[in-house]
Amino acid sequence: MAYAVGDFGGFSGGETSLDGGRVVHVFWLSGMSCDGCSVAMLGAISPSVEDLTLGTIPGVPRVVLHHSMLDEDCGAGFMEAFRQAAEGTLEAPYVVVVEGSVPDDQSFGGPGHFAAMGSGSDWPQSKGSAAYGEQPLRATDWMWALAPGAAACIAIGTCATWGGIPAAAGNITGSMGLTDYLGPSYRSARGLPVVNVPGCPPIGDNFTETLKDLLGYFEGSRALPEFDELGRPVWQFGETVHRHCPKAGYYEEGVFSHEPGDNQCLVEIGCWGPVVQCNIVERGAINHMGGCMVAGGACIGCTMPGFPDKFSPFYKAPPGSAISGGVSKVTGGAIRRLRRMSMANANTEPLWDNAHEIPTAWSRAADITHPVRKINSFFYKKLQYAGSVNHAKRNKKQPLPQSRDILRQKGVDMEASVPVLQEHLISREEL
Amino acid sequence: MTTQTSRPGPDGYNESTATGAAARNLRFDPVTRVSGDLAVHASADFGGSRRVGDAVAMATTFRGYEIICAGRDARDAVFISSRACGVCGDAHSICSALALEMACGIQPPPMGIVARNFLSATECLTDHPGHLFLRAGPDYSEPVVRHTSPELWTRAEATPAAGAAVHRFARVSDIMTALTRNRGRLYREALHMSRVAREANVVIGGKYPHPQTITPGGVSSTVDTTDFNLVLLRATKFLDYSRRVVAVWDDLTSYFYEADGRFAAVGEGPKNFLDLGLWDDPLSYDGRFANAASWGENRWSTPGAIVDGVLQSTDPRQIDAGVEEFVEHSFYENWSGESRSSDLHGNPLSQRHPSNKRTLPQPGSTDPGGRYSWSTAARWQGHPMETGAQARMWATALAAQQPHGSFVESTGRSLRMSMPKAQMPATLLEWQIPQRWNAFERNRARAYALAQATLAAYENVVIGLDLARRGGPNARIFNPYKIPKDGVTGAGYWGGARGYVSHHVQLADRVIENYQIVGPSTFSGSPRDGAGRPGPCEAAVMATPLVSSDPSQHGIDVLRAIRSFDLCMYCATH
Repeated sequence: MAYAVGDFGGFSGGETSLDGGRVVHVFWLSGMSCDGCSVAMLGAISPSVEDLTLGTIPGVPRVVLHHSMLDEDCGAGFMEAFRQAAEGTLEAPYVVVVEGSVPDDQSFGGPGHFAAMGSGSDWPQSKGSAAYGEQPLRATDWMWALAPGAAACIAIGTCATWGGIPAAAGNITGSMGLTDYLGPSYRSARGLPVVNVPGCPPIGDNFTETLKDLLGYFEGSRALPEFDELGRPVWQFGETVHRHCPKAGYYEEGVFSHEPGDNQCLVEIGCWGPVVQCNIVERGAINHMGGCMVAGGACIGCTMPGFPDKFSPFYKAPPGSAISGGVSKVTGGAIRRLRRMSMANANTEPLWDNAHEIPTAWSRAADITHPVRKINSFFYKKLQYAGSVNHAKRNKKQPLPQSRDILRQKGVDMEASVPVLQEHLISREEL
Repeated sequence: MTTQTSRPGPDGYNESTATGAAARNLRFDPVTRVSGDLAVHASADFGGSRRVGDAVAMATTFRGYEIICAGRDARDAVFISSRACGVCGDAHSICSALALEMACGIQPPPMGIVARNFLSATECLTDHPGHLFLRAGPDYSEPVVRHTSPELWTRAEATPAAGAAVHRFARVSDIMTALTRNRGRLYREALHMSRVAREANVVIGGKYPHPQTITPGGVSSTVDTTDFNLVLLRATKFLDYSRRVVAVWDDLTSYFYEADGRFAAVGEGPKNFLDLGLWDDPLSYDGRFANAASWGENRWSTPGAIVDGVLQSTDPRQIDAGVEEFVEHSFYENWSGESRSSDLHGNPLSQRHPSNKRTLPQPGSTDPGGRYSWSTAARWQGHPMETGAQARMWATALAAQQPHGSFVESTGRSLRMSMPKAQMPATLLEWQIPQRWNAFERNRARAYALAQATLAAYENVVIGLDLARRGGPNARIFNPYKIPKDGVTGAGYWGGARGYVSHHVQLADRVIENYQIVGPSTFSGSPRDGAGRPGPCEAAVMATPLVSSDPSQHGIDVLRAIRSFDLCMYCATH
């Protein structure tokens, strides 16, 4: 029996996901948001929002996106589909996406809202009549009305996932994350607790990729994506950002930035990367470009449930770094020096070792015949070739190429020519 | 009042089945394709008068950013206040850094200033196409025009596009087809180009929309030769793109004017503009309040307060000092208590001035005759003012003093922009101050503002390369600073893609005592003030004639008026 996969839209894949095929509605609800997650979503490319809404990905149903920043219609026309979804008359599966913290405005004794969308006449009557006539409907009304019937409920961004900045100390709105609001009993119509894609802003691709893979799962074309114990996509948030940080090597060698703008590890100017789960340094902010520490920005923990209060004051070194950074300065400092010795050896072509010179005007007389260097090289090679062969050594008797230094042989006197451009002989800081 | 129900119509557009007479209530709740949560209610007569009656614009979300900032370490201000707006996080973080610099006497080095300018310019390069093609554009697209005014579509099919050589659309109808949501070429190109601008932005800022590298004293970015290349090559992509965008909006504007002269009244409003300027001269800005007139006026984009088309001031301190916020129709309690009666320069400050404001939210019932918006009503010397890229264009063109003459020249009547060659040859784009001020001119001004931002981005990379070439302290990207223990106050005067942004900070013992934010839509999208004057968007809606035949009474012309402001309700209310 030949291996067969279903639902990728081939000869036997049934309906394709292009127009006329299956669709999934996505309802975008904004609580106390800043639109930053929507803006991040628009920047995604793998997949892009238009890949999803045009249904260009085989095996993934076309997305009908109901988003107030993008929708063609507005007012009652825009709200109609929200009402139908809550009434159960949409006749297509739907996903709910929540952006922004969830305010505690359900607790008001009378009308009033911290975040609103639509008004009384838009309300699904099957959920009871609208509490305050034609008054604005709270975003929190839509959240409880739509979440249970959704195939999945995705919280995008740190506000909707954990509470974020609107839930910071001192605010009066009683903000919380969607998981807190819906409570521990919540499961979607397909049995999923709230899926959390954090970040402030999140990486757009982290969200679109998660949505796409969930839709592929619902369609039967792929396995359920893996989520961690807080509902985060494991492949995105399973590692600390420090592990993949381009500056992590500086930490390992005990070299730290002293002030913003320095190129080394940023821990001492307030980077929390070693204890923060995030993938921005490997994925980039968009199209594998940028990323906080890649660009020189210290991690302030914006993907984490503790953000912002457990990471502030910003620009102050995390307490733990006093120990780990101190240890790294001692051990890493020693390792760095040893590595630089090995690197000096790696930076010479064997031909130059044999000729006892580095034949370029770029080089300022690196003394490759220095006795310390020779001794170091001797022991290094002993270890390197133990149990193997030093092929280069066996060929050491090979004569130097005869046409080396051809200009001198031909009598072209470069000493009389222009001097070496001094500007280019800049001294590099020690690595 | 008639009730409106709807059912899905052709083109995925909902047919309105308005029962009853031609007079009805338009309830745009929410108004889609704006940033943030906005609802507009207006009465409209689709019968004889075809006029709009009363209108209210409601900001329907409050977050509490000013309250959250209070009581925190001063160093938190930049990263917290940035989150007030996820469309222009760069604008808010830079503005916050400027406020702290003024409060604490911090001066960033030139390279740090250039890096901020670049972040700010690329934010405009992301946001302007977003407005022109994702938010406003679909209102002029084939499905919408066919649906709301079939007569305009037929005419467009027969109308050659004057800018065809630049934008490559033969007829006006081809432009409209390209503006179609999701599928249209211009729609998708805008998504693509906004991503190109973001790529450039995140090389310096780390992430988008909330940058991770802005700090008082400069930026923390580590910029090497590759980074310079990455940003330069992306900024220059906009040289051709902005030429095409300008040609598209020039053609659309002319088309509607010629099709029906009454379109010139859609969204019409007074020529009142407020802007704090944008993009600091790297050798002028020093963070000092005392020198604000000079560094303000040396910006690429000149600060300006304009009333009835007449320039009142280009000094950011006077512009700021004239601002008052009213809460009679907003969900806040009025504040009282201690206040400063003048700024350090001696300009009188009202008790209603943002720096004297306290944020006292009072959620409650929405009542169009009473309290109905989470936005305060920001006014300048009593006038409702319009803000945004259009205000930036007006102020810079009228003032005729912007010093950066390499590419942009201000003539007092126009802004002449010399676009270097890319794939297309070098050209001169000239934005002329228009005779009438309406929805079409707002969009057209924003198209030209894309060219202005392109040149600001490009010139700042060129200056950055030059500073790096010369080396020395000017090539530093950050100057260390200390937050003083004494009580200090400061203000940041800046702008986002959508214009006017000011942050006001008061520190005591290195802790934020009061933090206040004014965004562009706190002016443009404001509700009525205590004297009953409507906000600019409300007034523009009320001035709008229902020109399109609009058989299903969708209110398309009203929506064009609203969206032309490029409102961001998250900037309006925090």
